[in-house]
Amino acid sequence: MTTVRPAEPVLEAKGLKASYGPIQVIHGIDFVVNQGEVVVILGANGAGKTTTLRAISGMIDTGGSVKLNGEEIVGKNSADVVRRGVAHVPQGRGTFPELTVEENLRVGAYVAPKSANLEEDMQYWYDQYPVLYERREQTAGSLSGGEQQMLAVSRALMSHPKLLLLDEPSLGLAPLIVEGLFEQFAKLNKERGMTLLVVEQNAHLALGIANRGYVLESGEIAISGEASELMNNDAIRKAYLGV
Amino acid sequence: MAARIITAGSTEHRNYKLIVGGLGVLAFILFAFAYIDTASLEIAGNKYNLSIIRVNKAIAFAIAILGLQVIVGYTGQLALGQSFFFGMGAYITAWLVADHSWPYLLTLIVVVPACFIVGMILGIPALRVKGLYLALITLGLAAVFPSLVKLDALSDYTNGAGGKSVSESKLIPPGWLGGGVDAPRGTISNLDRFAEFLQTFPVVGGFFGDGPLSSREEERMWKLILLTLMLVACCWLVSNLIQSRPGRAMRAVRDNETGAAVSGINLASTKTLAFGVASALGGVGGTAYVMEVGIASPDDFAQVIAILFIVGLVVGGVGTISGAIVGAFVIVFVPDWSSSTQELPIVPERWLQGPTGSLILGAGLILLTFVLPGGIVAAYRRLKARFIQIVPGVPTMPSMAAAAEAAIDTTGVDTPTAQEPTGV
Amino acid sequence: MQLFLQRVIDGLTNGSAYALVAVALVLIFKATTLINFAQGEQAMLGAFFALQLWMWGVPMWGAVIISMILSALLAALIERTLIRPFDPSDHLPLVIVTLGLFLGINALAGLIWRFDPWRFPELFPSGVAFSIGGANVTWYAVCTVLSAIVILGSLQLLLSRTKIGLAFRAVSSNLESSQLVGIRVGPTLQFGWALAAAVGTLGASIYVANPVLSIEPTVMLTVLVFAASAAALGGLDSLWGALAGGLGIGFIQSLLVQYAPFIPTELSLLTAVVVLLVVLFFRPAGFFGTAAVERV
Ligand SMILES: Nc1ncnc2c1ncn2[C@@H]1O[C@H](COP(=O)(O)OP(=O)(O)OP(=O)(O)O)[C@@H](O)[C@H]1O
Ligand SMILES: [Mg+2]
Repeated sequence: MTTVRPAEPVLEAKGLKASYGPIQVIHGIDFVVNQGEVVVILGANGAGKTTTLRAISGMIDTGGSVKLNGEEIVGKNSADVVRRGVAHVPQGRGTFPELTVEENLRVGAYVAPKSANLEEDMQYWYDQYPVLYERREQTAGSLSGGEQQMLAVSRALMSHPKLLLLDEPSLGLAPLIVEGLFEQFAKLNKERGMTLLVVEQNAHLALGIANRGYVLESGEIAISGEASELMNNDAIRKAYLGV
Repeated sequence: MAARIITAGSTEHRNYKLIVGGLGVLAFILFAFAYIDTASLEIAGNKYNLSIIRVNKAIAFAIAILGLQVIVGYTGQLALGQSFFFGMGAYITAWLVADHSWPYLLTLIVVVPACFIVGMILGIPALRVKGLYLALITLGLAAVFPSLVKLDALSDYTNGAGGKSVSESKLIPPGWLGGGVDAPRGTISNLDRFAEFLQTFPVVGGFFGDGPLSSREEERMWKLILLTLMLVACCWLVSNLIQSRPGRAMRAVRDNETGAAVSGINLASTKTLAFGVASALGGVGGTAYVMEVGIASPDDFAQVIAILFIVGLVVGGVGTISGAIVGAFVIVFVPDWSSSTQELPIVPERWLQGPTGSLILGAGLILLTFVLPGGIVAAYRRLKARFIQIVPGVPTMPSMAAAAEAAIDTTGVDTPTAQEPTGV
Repeated sequence: MQLFLQRVIDGLTNGSAYALVAVALVLIFKATTLINFAQGEQAMLGAFFALQLWMWGVPMWGAVIISMILSALLAALIERTLIRPFDPSDHLPLVIVTLGLFLGINALAGLIWRFDPWRFPELFPSGVAFSIGGANVTWYAVCTVLSAIVILGSLQLLLSRTKIGLAFRAVSSNLESSQLVGIRVGPTLQFGWALAAAVGTLGASIYVANPVLSIEPTVMLTVLVFAASAAALGGLDSLWGALAGGLGIGFIQSLLVQYAPFIPTELSLLTAVVVLLVVLFFRPAGFFGTAAVERV
């Protein structure tokens, strides 16, 4: 199998800093996500992984530079970043609990390009996850955790993003469901050429589908490299792979 | 110009406090004698009253707002219906004085516990209901008060819509000070002597009226003295409360309720105490109000008064004791002066008649929230800090811990809580 | 029986008007967990706009519709300039601003129209529509209840079928995720404020169009208390709950006045406050609310 990987960066962060009020959490990090790549960010709890994703999508005070397809997005608000093709599935689902499954998908298409066919796209995700179709009139809040994560991913992709940010998609889910989700991610990457930036605690799974990875420690990048290198790195094996 | 730095607790600091305090008392006395008559200021053809009557009213309001400081400013609970307790205190006093001939001040022994208890009971919902819901309930209670006292069933005590008058019971100064109860007309009292003494000064003497005081003026002066003492006592009690253990608990609840609960503070009892104290102060304010105006009438305790108290709280400075006093003066004098303004260049006359004062207060309230979230007191402090700064002294070894604690306390007390507006 | 029916009908009529103001409160609360204490005064000002336009010769329904638009624009302006700059989770400054608006708008109306009662044009045909069991049902009663239902139905459609309506509900449901799907939160909330003001203005106009009432600057002071308890009864974040709550409060009010002689008429306001207290204390999510009240 050949992975197409033209070295054309979709996302390029240089000296990215992020803070909550006076507290700086990310201290100037550099990373790149190329077109068609799956990149994973590993790190312990509190390392700043979520914060990094939030900085990219314009949710918090950010400094330094982040270029999306060559365009500077630091300082832009999240609505503008999303409109430029970033979809972000936040940590802990991020569905709209009071809205029905179908309404969640509709809202997901809020910034979809004009060319997108809403009904067709919805049908695609209903085919992927028939359970969502069964529950389409139910509120999202009444779904199980796994179903909500499926909904969250589907909802994010309704906007036809160029880059998908996933924050710990495996959190709190049964292994079988997690595997299903990761298969979906791999499939999105292969079949649609979707670029993914994935934050994960489950390093084994994540490195399994990733091309490259970064390890974040206290808001700085400690290690980076090809997925296979990281998989064999002793420090990482100890800290994240539990071997 | 560099600010002069004074070390807390030094002789210089003590002198500074003495001088400032002394000047304050002197200004107060001079003011009292100058405006004992319904004096007024004339600006551009409009007469503005500066009389003691209004000052007394402001003092009554200040005590009620002090109560709001305790519950809103220091405990962070949005209990906004202070007019309810203000009215309750006023009616209890009016009833005891008019129907049972109690002396005014004695009524406090009923007013304080009654308002304290009712406040605690009405505060129970607040143990479960927070934030805006509490604001909603308490403003609702404030809206209900006038119709409560107008009830037929209570009219024996409250005299219905007409209001309960106590004008029969005068507040006559004691013999050592004023005319006394049975003093014959024309007796020269100590108050008279002092007034005449002030009148002898060249140039400024004219400000202090002419000849001895009339009995009405003496009564007014006596009220001012009594009310001022009540206010001072209330301020003293509140400032002690705030620095005591329960007061620290209140501030902890305000700053971070969950954190306070985790660190072992009993939320229920802390809030209940704050409600009780706040309501009792509201009641004392009501007593003071009746002492001044001589009647408790239902519409003086309408919901809009509750809102005016909030205006006073915010304009003066949330979470400051002096803010309560400043705010009270603002809510008394702004409407009063705006209705005394009969003509102003440019502004059409029609806009000067009617609720112009409320419009100014409403607009001022909003404006202040933007430009000066800490209220007037915060602005004054900022200004003062440019000239004089008082810094905590260098602690000597044994008292290090105590001093550190004191420093933490003083920074906690009187810090305005209103947030700086974010964004824009 | 006849008397009972009559009271029920009166209760429903008043309750429908309360419900419309309650809906206005709920719209803003749903999205921002803020209770707009100035809602009643904004509605009163809107009704005065309508009255003024009508006096200038605009046909009465035209006047009401224009004033709904004007109130919506004013509310959008208020949201943009006075509400948005503040941190939505810090309630004190927001309460202060809405109370400032309360005071300011009331005074403004008093300055312009004086504190005198004005006759409001009759929006609905006068006279009795029909009688049941000896109780007369006026056209006003019929039309008021119907208006409330129609308005709620249209709101429901607006919020579930239109893009902006869906966005508004998304913002109400999950602020962060709504930003992440590209919704501009500020303008969306502004839309909510405008919508609330328009509905409130309509509610106030219908309320003061009651042949036995008139309009004056203080008219909404008590209505707001009733509306707030209606909203709380309905759970503060449910539109149909607000309608049910409004009708419920209207009911309680008119039946208590009739059948509990020991509770004098003046205390109908107290019943509203007591209902508010009891509901918030024992059933903080109301009877139709979805979320727990602990959103503080
Ligand atoms: N809203 C916030 N306000 C202040 N500090 C925050 C906030 N959110 C996160 N932090 C701090 O920022 C740091 C990084 O948090 P972040 O959520 O990015 O970690 P993370 O790597 O995603 O951890 P986890 O694996 O637990 O999700 C932590 O120290 C955290 O305490
Ligand atoms: Mg995280």
